[in-house]
Amino acid sequence: MFNLDYSWLADPVYQGWLIRGTLTTIELAFASSAISFVIGLFGALALTLRIAWLDAFIELFVEVFRNTPPLLQMLFFYFTLSTIGLRVTDPATGVSVPLLSAFACALISLSLFGGALCIEAFRSGLDSLPRAVTEAARSLGYSRWQRFRRIEAPIASRICLPALTNIMTNQFKTTSQASVITVPELMYYAGQIYNDTFRTAEVMILVLFIYVSLVSLLSWGMVRIERALAFPGYGRAH
Amino acid sequence: MNRSDVLIELDQVNKSFGAFQVLKGISLSVKDGEAVCIIGPSGSGKSTILRCINGLIPIDSGSIRVGTHAVHKMKTEKEMRPLRHQVSMVFQQYNLFPHRTALQNVMMAPIQVLGHDPKEVEVRARRLLAKVRLSEKADSYPGQLSGGQQQRVAIARALAMEPQVILFDEVTAALDPETVKEVLTAIRELVDEGLTCILVTHEMKFAREVADRVCFTDHGRIVESGPPAQIFDAPQDPRTREFLGQVL
Ligand SMILES: Nc1ncnc2c1ncn2[C@@H]1O[C@H](COP(=O)(O)OP(=O)(O)O)[C@@H](O)[C@H]1O
Ligand SMILES: [Mg+2]
Repeated sequence: MFNLDYSWLADPVYQGWLIRGTLTTIELAFASSAISFVIGLFGALALTLRIAWLDAFIELFVEVFRNTPPLLQMLFFYFTLSTIGLRVTDPATGVSVPLLSAFACALISLSLFGGALCIEAFRSGLDSLPRAVTEAARSLGYSRWQRFRRIEAPIASRICLPALTNIMTNQFKTTSQASVITVPELMYYAGQIYNDTFRTAEVMILVLFIYVSLVSLLSWGMVRIERALAFPGYGRAH
Repeated sequence: MNRSDVLIELDQVNKSFGAFQVLKGISLSVKDGEAVCIIGPSGSGKSTILRCINGLIPIDSGSIRVGTHAVHKMKTEKEMRPLRHQVSMVFQQYNLFPHRTALQNVMMAPIQVLGHDPKEVEVRARRLLAKVRLSEKADSYPGQLSGGQQQRVAIARALAMEPQVILFDEVTAALDPETVKEVLTAIRELVDEGLTCILVTHEMKFAREVADRVCFTDHGRIVESGPPAQIFDAPQDPRTREFLGQVL
């Protein structure tokens, strides 16, 4: 246990895998977070329209994605979208190939999962807006959309920023499950390396360290953003 | 009374929330330049009257006219825009947009809603902040201002829309006693300048001093209305007498 052997780390092939895997993880995490954010914003906006069928649809979406394991979601998207469903025939070779790459499937899956959580976060952010803020905007003649864009969304985003940080942190960790559908991210390459070297403990410790560093960096960044976006004095009693 | 002078006219306005009838045949007319105070117990429908006047809440029956606008016929927010330009409102609290400075709060709607020239709006906004004696707070955020200062910014913001009428809904009710006066002073100046105002207030002394007319509401009805001297010194209705007995 205490005889850790990291000599394999000197191999440029493994170094390359770790770097590529880490970059793919970051890419997947950020891209899916960004899409989740947009889904959350528009989902919450749609809910404010109070259209019964739309509410029911969004409600169902949120329930399904929030209450099922992301791994299952990923496998589902991989097998339905890429294997069973959408395939195209490569004109050059005549071979039927999946339209969407494993990465695309993971991205879609994570984005929908995160989007469901973001809808919840934005909804509670919008709910916590003082009624007078919305009424003031209406009484100043702001239209539905202007009100959302200029007033409600900026304030609600600020209010739910801590929740978004949580969602993003989770998203980062959940990307590791994409290895199961062969997305070449950090976990995937980690598996490749220990299959090659049989240095399971060493590889896992290193990967653990990489995840801790990345997520800490992310949290630090989000705290900085929270500070930068804080409304001076907001929430202070007077 | 010359009819053309009437700026706001409510006729037999009814409004229910579910099974609960909040307004029971409210009729009220306000002339151009008049200051009307609405007093009455909590829950008697005062805020609802104001919200109906600028179309924030649709009414069930009756009619509301503001200038040339038939408010009761307006269905969409878009139709209400010209009305919102004409009627501004200041609320009890949490009026201001917390993510914008005092100056930006005043400038936002004229630029974003009315499409006025930003340079011209800034000049106007600074003049209005000076009017409510807050020039030095232009760059402060609402969270950095006292309640009284926030309300004065809210008044400046309402004025920036260049409205014909301002509705004040208990704007001093959430304030510390020492800041109430600065807000009332700001309002009094507007009334003196001849801006048409409808004020819901619990400040009876203020109502007596500034109002041309006082309306007393109880359980969704205007029970009694008249010049302040009449309402405060010789109330006719026992409910008015009881209410004034409690608050004076
Ligand atoms: N949006 C609403 N939904 C249901 N009930 C409401 C709503 N707004 C006001 N009410 C009720 O209507 C009554 C009158 O309210 P309001 O006009 O705010 O009274 P006031 O301003 O005189 O205190 C109250 O009993 C209040 O609970
Ligand atoms: Mg009220």
